[in-house]
Amino acid sequence: MSSAENRCSLCREPAVVRLTEPERRLCAGHFIEDVEARVLGSVTREQMIAPGDRVAVGLSGGKDSTALLLLLHRFLPALGATPVAVTIDEGIAGYREETLRAAQDLAGELGVEHAIVTFADLFGEDLDAILVGRESQGCTVCGVLRRRALVEAVKRVGATKLATGHNLDDEAQSVLMNVLRGDLPRLRQDTSTGQPGHFVPRIKPLAVLSEKEIVTYLLLRAYYRDLPECPYAGTALRSEVRTMLAGLEHRHPGTMLRLMRFRGGIRQSARAAEPAKALSTCRICGELTSGEVCQVCRLLGRKER
Amino acid sequence: MQIILPDRSVRTLSRTSAPIEEILLELGINPTTVIVVKNGKVVPEDVTAGEDDEIRVLRFSHGG
Repeated sequence: MSSAENRCSLCREPAVVRLTEPERRLCAGHFIEDVEARVLGSVTREQMIAPGDRVAVGLSGGKDSTALLLLLHRFLPALGATPVAVTIDEGIAGYREETLRAAQDLAGELGVEHAIVTFADLFGEDLDAILVGRESQGCTVCGVLRRRALVEAVKRVGATKLATGHNLDDEAQSVLMNVLRGDLPRLRQDTSTGQPGHFVPRIKPLAVLSEKEIVTYLLLRAYYRDLPECPYAGTALRSEVRTMLAGLEHRHPGTMLRLMRFRGGIRQSARAAEPAKALSTCRICGELTSGEVCQVCRLLGRKER
Repeated sequence: MQIILPDRSVRTLSRTSAPIEEILLELGINPTTVIVVKNGKVVPEDVTAGEDDEIRVLRFSHGG
């Protein structure tokens, strides 16, 4: 297609993207509007926010959470809710310093309250120290500890919801990974309703946007920063699934959205068929777990006193 | 045309005109994993690049 033919379907300005379902080309202005309308549409359709909510926004300082805070900062006041940014500083030398600065800059610029919780404070040492001798498990260990740190951060700021920047790629990859692992319980697990006394409801407003759409949105709004990738990034399976899904999405556009619809269907039919497995509390720390000792205590080698 | 790759290396292609998507695939790059900037403007990958164009390919880091 020549540049002369590449025009916005709405205003005939030069198009910056071509989207499917429905097929359309959009200029910068209309793409920004389209992204914001899709996210707001999903937030309202899925009733993610209630008036009076204090929404903790997980802000790593990377691209997804930057877009998340920009969007929620814009929408929440009209929905009667307030954002508060929460950042987990895992303590990853050579990586976290720069993203932490980006998070502080953004929260400061938007005038959003910002709380930082560190692994050192919560778990006694930073991630680099925790991972000595088991660096290859970095992503898994960090994932478990970061989820716990977010729970703690939510308590500290008194939030009623936790919003995270998971995008369509992340979610579709997780669906496929759970299928490949044969992990039906995790495929069914829905954290959007929360667990009273333990977890507030978790919302993922960006799950309707692909990673590419998020980066394009940030580029067009001049908020994109080329930040380093985490040195522990990507388990072997996720990275294989990411490559495979990217190939499928290119050859068969809409693959990721269809995977999400599949998960929705599974959750609905599973809910009707049998109740979810009951959770108990960890013998050591008292947090929710499916066994007797939670993953955090097992990973940190905590013993009963 | 000049192609600036994600690692900032520069390739000069002698082709007169081709859809950017085709060029990316020849270079082993999946178009869904990058953003294309043609002469300083973000464009969809099915746009054609000509002899005098500069194409920058941005790959984004995962996570965040």
